[in-house]
Amino acid sequence: MEAFAIALEGLALAEWLRFSRWGYATVNTTHVLGLGLLIGAIVTLDLRLIGLWKATPIEQLYRVLSPVAASGLGIAIITGMLLFSVRATEYVELELFFVKLGLVVAGTGFVAVIHFRYALERLSFKQQRLVGIMSLSIWLSVLVSGRLLAFV
Amino acid sequence: MQSLNLSRRLFLPILLILPSMVFAHHGWSWTTGGNIQVTGVILEAKLGNPHGVLLIGVNNERWTAEVGQPWRNARAGLKDGDLAPGTEVKLEGEPSANIDDKLIKVERLWIGGTKYELYPSRS
Repeated sequence: MEAFAIALEGLALAEWLRFSRWGYATVNTTHVLGLGLLIGAIVTLDLRLIGLWKATPIEQLYRVLSPVAASGLGIAIITGMLLFSVRATEYVELELFFVKLGLVVAGTGFVAVIHFRYALERLSFKQQRLVGIMSLSIWLSVLVSGRLLAFV
Repeated sequence: MQSLNLSRRLFLPILLILPSMVFAHHGWSWTTGGNIQVTGVILEAKLGNPHGVLLIGVNNERWTAEVGQPWRNARAGLKDGDLAPGTEVKLEGEPSANIDDKLIKVERLWIGGTKYELYPSRS
């Protein structure tokens, strides 16, 4: 792990980001854009599943929000890897970093299972609510743990 | 309800670790609001984004000093290699409100009598 982190920090791109005036700021801001899209779409859908806006069909909401969330996740993962590469050896020392990674994996896995194996609109309301609460818990925990990384 | 409890169990640990974390680094909210001076020798320098960090040997103590991002250090007139290990520096800035952290956010520093202002508007 240590050797991997050192190798990553030595990459030309990581080196450039570490000392550039606007490169790091741009990647950092784009990471926030990814989070905004991901969390915004997920929270909206989760609240619908939990019981808000019942007049809006889940299917329609899902068709709009799932690609937004997926794009957000993609942007966040790519920019996240870039940010990680700048200070890889420091992040691997932080337990919190692995808590966050684990939560991202859990959230992505949970979404994948729901997306490919279930039709949300056909679940009972109790099941929908459970999915909403699970999803909300995981992704808000990702947000909190990720933000905290900047403060430890 | 069994599975509802499970999701609660997932979320709770995260909320519980919140207050126990040491908040540092960003902004000035974690510092005392007053300046101190620390003089010592640079043991280790890790410069670059999101901010540079120096490990300073002060007698038998080790202090961690946060300096600027590359652009701030460059604006102050610092060149590559100025903050190399072995260099004696005098630092002025705000320490962490918890003095046991031995952590200072540098506002200005002196190397061999030359002053470098990282935060010209702070004093």
